[in-house]
Amino acid sequence: MTGLLEIREKLRIFYGRYELYVITGMKFVLGLVVFFLINSQIGYMERLKHPAVVLILSLGCAFLPINAMMVIAAGMILVHLFAVSLEACAIGLCLFLLLLFMYGKFAPQNGYGTILTSVLCCFRVPQVMPVAEGLLKEPSAYLSVLCGTVTYYFVKGVQDNLVNFTATEETEGLSRFTAALKILVGNKEMYLVLAAFFITALVVYVIRRQSINYAWRIAMFAGNMVELVILLVGYIVLDKTENILWIILGILLSFGVSLILEFFFYHLDYSRIERVQFEDDEYYYFVKAVPKVFVAQKDKKVKQITPKKRTTVNRRRLAEELDIDQDLLD
Amino acid sequence: MLNEERIRLMTKMAVYETGEGREYMPIKQYYRRDYVSYEMIKTFITSTIAFGILFFFWMLYKMEDMTDFFNGKDLPELGIFILVRYIIFIVIYQVIAYIVYVRRYKKATASVKEYYSNLKKVQRLQEKEEHL
Repeated sequence: MTGLLEIREKLRIFYGRYELYVITGMKFVLGLVVFFLINSQIGYMERLKHPAVVLILSLGCAFLPINAMMVIAAGMILVHLFAVSLEACAIGLCLFLLLLFMYGKFAPQNGYGTILTSVLCCFRVPQVMPVAEGLLKEPSAYLSVLCGTVTYYFVKGVQDNLVNFTATEETEGLSRFTAALKILVGNKEMYLVLAAFFITALVVYVIRRQSINYAWRIAMFAGNMVELVILLVGYIVLDKTENILWIILGILLSFGVSLILEFFFYHLDYSRIERVQFEDDEYYYFVKAVPKVFVAQKDKKVKQITPKKRTTVNRRRLAEELDIDQDLLD
Repeated sequence: MLNEERIRLMTKMAVYETGEGREYMPIKQYYRRDYVSYEMIKTFITSTIAFGILFFFWMLYKMEDMTDFFNGKDLPELGIFILVRYIIFIVIYQVIAYIVYVRRYKKATASVKEYYSNLKKVQRLQEKEEHL
């Protein structure tokens, strides 16, 4: 454990020293992943699929705020949808505007939550996000996870129902609109996932705020269990049992990520709890102070106990140092 | 001679101005009432647009069942139906906006307080230096 704590401290110091480069690099990698995923999922516009476009966009996003990546990704999705059908693009645009006006306006700093949820949905393990958000953020941020989920299911819905949007003479514009809307309105799986994620995040939040020992660990355990049960029961009811393996895998990953988060953000030593009680004019205070586990980084000093090697100086350098002629040293 | 204390304070303030302060300092340019009202007006506009989009979705989805509406038969009932929902929607969003922006203003006040106290300290140190 001491070794791990030392590594944690080293990572903290490294992050503190190179914060700018670390964040820029992470944004660049995230941009690459996001744009490649969009192209692989709904890459209907051939020009945008060129790796150079993805690279340039990712590079741009690395130096811009995270919300810029969200806007660019949404724009990219809309352009791809436009290549499929104007109706799907229009509904997509309305959906993004709706998410922006109904949620984005109030909590504009939760871009990471939205993007990471969509990315993890593509990898079929989004179960990580509600528990992580529940541990780290306030309830207002949980809706960002829901926004990411809605975006993913809309894109997936277009992909799955491509036949309804491809240009056939029989397909009227109105029925294409209806088909695009049905992706959202009639998607019971999406509602199930949204409910599961929101309830999970709230359960985690409520438990981790309690003044109990190992609050984070209990919260992550309860949250993951609640999520597992809701999703398992829901998928069985919806008769989509082929997803169960992925749900279990996602929950296991969620446990792993939660433990890592706990180690970095909430590693407390419960064996050294201190309880103090005092009062002022208005209140009585019952304070429970739990110390953080902290290991000071080893201050390594190298003490040389062997005698220093004798340094040899050639004639020319010695003559130069003494500012005399070389011949005088013979 | 350099005053280390003043440099330390000024660095702290510069860090605040480029970080947290960028979000909170513009908020404190307003009185609380003005800030909250301004944000609530903005929310009214955005929530009206959001309701419009939702209404558009609903119209498209229910298009086949709305032949009576287009014939003008159900117009008054439908108008009241939509108006009631619009008012409920707007009221809910105004309440949310009020809570969110009052909390944000409080946060901004607490955050900027330390900045201003540092500013005063810097001013005092500067005056002291000038007297010397």
